Amino acid sequence: MQQDLIRNFCIIAHIDHGKSTLADRILQLTGAVTGRDMREQILDSMDLERERGITIKAQAVRVFYTAADGQTYQLNLIDTPGHVDFSYEVSRSLAACEGALLVVDASQGIEAQTLANTYLAVEGDLELIPVLNKIDLPAADPELHGRAVAELIGVDPSSVLRISAKTGEGVADVLEAIVARIPPPHGDPEAPVRALIFDSVYDQYRGVVAFVRVVDGAFTKGDRLVAMQTGREVAAEEVGVMTPTMLSTGRLAAGESGYLITGLKSVGDLKVGDTLTLARRPAAAPLAGYREVKPMVFCGLFPLDADDYPDLRDALEKLSLNDASLQWEPETSQALGFGFRCGFLGLLHMDIVRERLEREYDLELLATTPNVEYQLTTTGGEELAVRSPVELPPPTNIASIREPYVRCAILVPADGVGAVMQLCQERRGQYVTMTPIEQRQQIIYDLPLAEIVTDFYDQLKSRTRGYASLDYELAGYRESPLVKLDILLAGEPVDALSMIVHKDLAYGRGKALVERLRETIPRQLFEVPIQAAVGGRIIARETIKARRKDVLAKCYGGDISRKRKLLERQKEGKKRMKQVGNVEVPQEAFLSVLTLGSSSDSHAARK
Amino acid sequence: MVRHLYVHLPFCASRCGYCAFVVEVGALDRRDAYLAALRAELASERGRLGPLETIYLGGGTPTLMRPHRVAALLEDLAPLTAAGAEISIEANPETVDREAFARLRRTGITRVSIGAQSFQPELLAALDRGARPDQVRRAVTCAKRAGFRSVSVDLLFGVPGQTTAQLEADIDEVLDLGVDHISWYELEIKPETALARLGARPPDEDWAADAYEAIVARLEAAGYRWYETANFARPGHECQHSLAYWSARDYLGLGVGAVSTVAGRRWRNTPGLSAYLGQVSVDGVPARTAEALDAATSRRERWMLGLRLDRPLDTAWAGPPDHPEALDRLEAGGLLTAAPGRVALTRRGRFVQNAVLHELMEYA
Repeated sequence: MQQDLIRNFCIIAHIDHGKSTLADRILQLTGAVTGRDMREQILDSMDLERERGITIKAQAVRVFYTAADGQTYQLNLIDTPGHVDFSYEVSRSLAACEGALLVVDASQGIEAQTLANTYLAVEGDLELIPVLNKIDLPAADPELHGRAVAELIGVDPSSVLRISAKTGEGVADVLEAIVARIPPPHGDPEAPVRALIFDSVYDQYRGVVAFVRVVDGAFTKGDRLVAMQTGREVAAEEVGVMTPTMLSTGRLAAGESGYLITGLKSVGDLKVGDTLTLARRPAAAPLAGYREVKPMVFCGLFPLDADDYPDLRDALEKLSLNDASLQWEPETSQALGFGFRCGFLGLLHMDIVRERLEREYDLELLATTPNVEYQLTTTGGEELAVRSPVELPPPTNIASIREPYVRCAILVPADGVGAVMQLCQERRGQYVTMTPIEQRQQIIYDLPLAEIVTDFYDQLKSRTRGYASLDYELAGYRESPLVKLDILLAGEPVDALSMIVHKDLAYGRGKALVERLRETIPRQLFEVPIQAAVGGRIIARETIKARRKDVLAKCYGGDISRKRKLLERQKEGKKRMKQVGNVEVPQEAFLSVLTLGSSSDSHAARK
Repeated sequence: MVRHLYVHLPFCASRCGYCAFVVEVGALDRRDAYLAALRAELASERGRLGPLETIYLGGGTPTLMRPHRVAALLEDLAPLTAAGAEISIEANPETVDREAFARLRRTGITRVSIGAQSFQPELLAALDRGARPDQVRRAVTCAKRAGFRSVSVDLLFGVPGQTTAQLEADIDEVLDLGVDHISWYELEIKPETALARLGARPPDEDWAADAYEAIVARLEAAGYRWYETANFARPGHECQHSLAYWSARDYLGLGVGAVSTVAGRRWRNTPGLSAYLGQVSVDGVPARTAEALDAATSRRERWMLGLRLDRPLDTAWAGPPDHPEALDRLEAGGLLTAAPGRVALTRRGRFVQNAVLHELMEYA
């Protein structure tokens, strides 16, 4: 198809502002999906995504639209994730487009992630079409939020579309605007092939499926392609587009987006952001890719039942086929046995991986407290990266420790400013600036990432009654006076409970943690002291009381099987605990650390 | 041959709030049919019985069968019964008087176990018991006067709302009565009972432990031996039938819902009265659900049962523990004493018997 009839676009929206509903509506209006086939939110294919209302994997769908000018256009909708953990996936989606729909909830207005993604789009030189969604809601204020959106991207308020993706009102205007306002692609159809890999998934029958945006040239089924960064050569076993089901077209040309089946065994073999070119006629230079994704949050995942270790490894291998950002390596804990230290993009990513492992692979897992990656210099001048408290050398061997900081942008109504600033101060935050946006304030703080990976987001939400939204980006490493806080159960240090903390916070955290552990760990056969220690010095202590009574009163002829079964049921319950030395520790205990650092009134469980 | 017989007599006037047993309320007109069915089941089973060292008539409310039906049943059993056998019956205080006890005594019954549960009106009400405190006292006095070899009283602690003062008052009362044997259970709130539906919760562990320790200490001081987890006896008055259970001996159960264990196999008769009556009248035996006890299960049951007693467990009889290495640790922690071939729980160990069992054995 000639390039001037092609439009590549994506949708930028905050979670719950209606991106998926709008995408579904576009598919319906263009006839790509009939009403009968319509499952809610077609593009979100995983159950988890549908449940959480979050889009994780970017995908591309091609539809045809006959516009008011009588021409039929090829529209390629490239889906974007809406959560901060996946902002790198947003940037790669943006790189495949010439324009974006900026969707804002007409009752909620702009949120922190809307801002962050808008800036990414503006940097990428994309044409933005502002869209106010959910105008059918009674609380909608299209005047106010329309002005704010127009101001944000520097356009006239009259160009802001007002729609309801739910009822379909105004969606036709969106299609017209896509055709009219977003420029067509302008690659060179005759030049050597350059195709940007913006996503890839693993299919158990077909191997790695890469989603590509062809910028220059064209390739066909059977061509041998080369990934320019890695030099890896792949065969185009099949080439086609998503309609949204896979449709083999045999060819993809400049301006188009589509898929490529490679038969490769792991998504790691084809790096997202790499440029594909023809082996027999390579391009001179690759396209500008985007920064490689690095895990920011690490935790240990251990099977509750040690026999499940091989299954956990298999499951991680399978998940990695589809998730190049998930890192893992074997880890051995004295307390928890054999497991894996895993690296994630953020807390949501961690939660999603853990839930998938438990749900799709039927594993019972114990996750240790999330950690960030510390950099340290030893007294011997050696540089180390530390991703787990157990890797921290003794204090006498440490010359300096640096920890990752993030720059947080928090958008909050004026009456929540105090609460947000207090929270940020409690978490060792450094104030940067505050600017009004709409009727809210955007507060910028620099915070240690370690302070965010526990319950910061939950706290932020609960202290602002849900009104604050958060976005953050890495802001480099800074030196901090950090120490290792050890927890001892019955005198033995429990590696899985130790953590790295700022020295001024060690006493408070240690005290809170042993108290929490005393509440979480049930009475044991013998009395068990719980101690917190820094550098071998005990700073807090609690005691788990010994059991005093554990008998079944009645046991006659008719009760013997019942009593035996009761013991068997008790044993089942014990299996859900982790045996640490002679102490039975419930899983929740290992998560106690997550909810520290919050004021005592906020013991609410996570999620 | 099986030397211990249990007979279940399920009829009750009402169901108590904590009761999850097989009982029949409002079916008194079926007592004769039930007696006939019991005799038919006995006829089918008598080949493996005898000579019986103990017979236990439990319920339900066995005394609602009235003495003449009990007499008829015991007459059937007489040829199978050893000389000097212990023959026990459970009695509810409000169903017996001097005359009834005298007639029961004449049937050959040697031991009466009176279901008192408490002497406090508030607690009896909380448990939906039919008897008033004075009826409980009178029943015990009548039973003693009727000349049974042993009179026992059943009591409960851990009743929702029970105070320490009420517990002490119950201990005072039962010691005043001077019975031969006392069974004192902690109340279990079982699912499907009225108490559970009311949302009753057990007392916290420390209160229950204090109560249990107080019971043990005061009964022992009064000359009772704490011979089993929940049972106390004056010397020579231990319940031989119960000891047979705790010694893992074979026993046969007759009647609706009754459990038997014979030669490595355990079965339970159907718990439905109509099904029981119908099937026994046709086949001579009711429908049964059975489980086979393999060697490992039997060994674990022997440990579970044997450690309930105050006498040491004979490991040659019970078999080895699954985790012998735990013995030293438990001994060092003051929970048991181990000598070659013998293991006994200490006083502290007896209060946490389940936890000790989990250290020693693998119940899976």
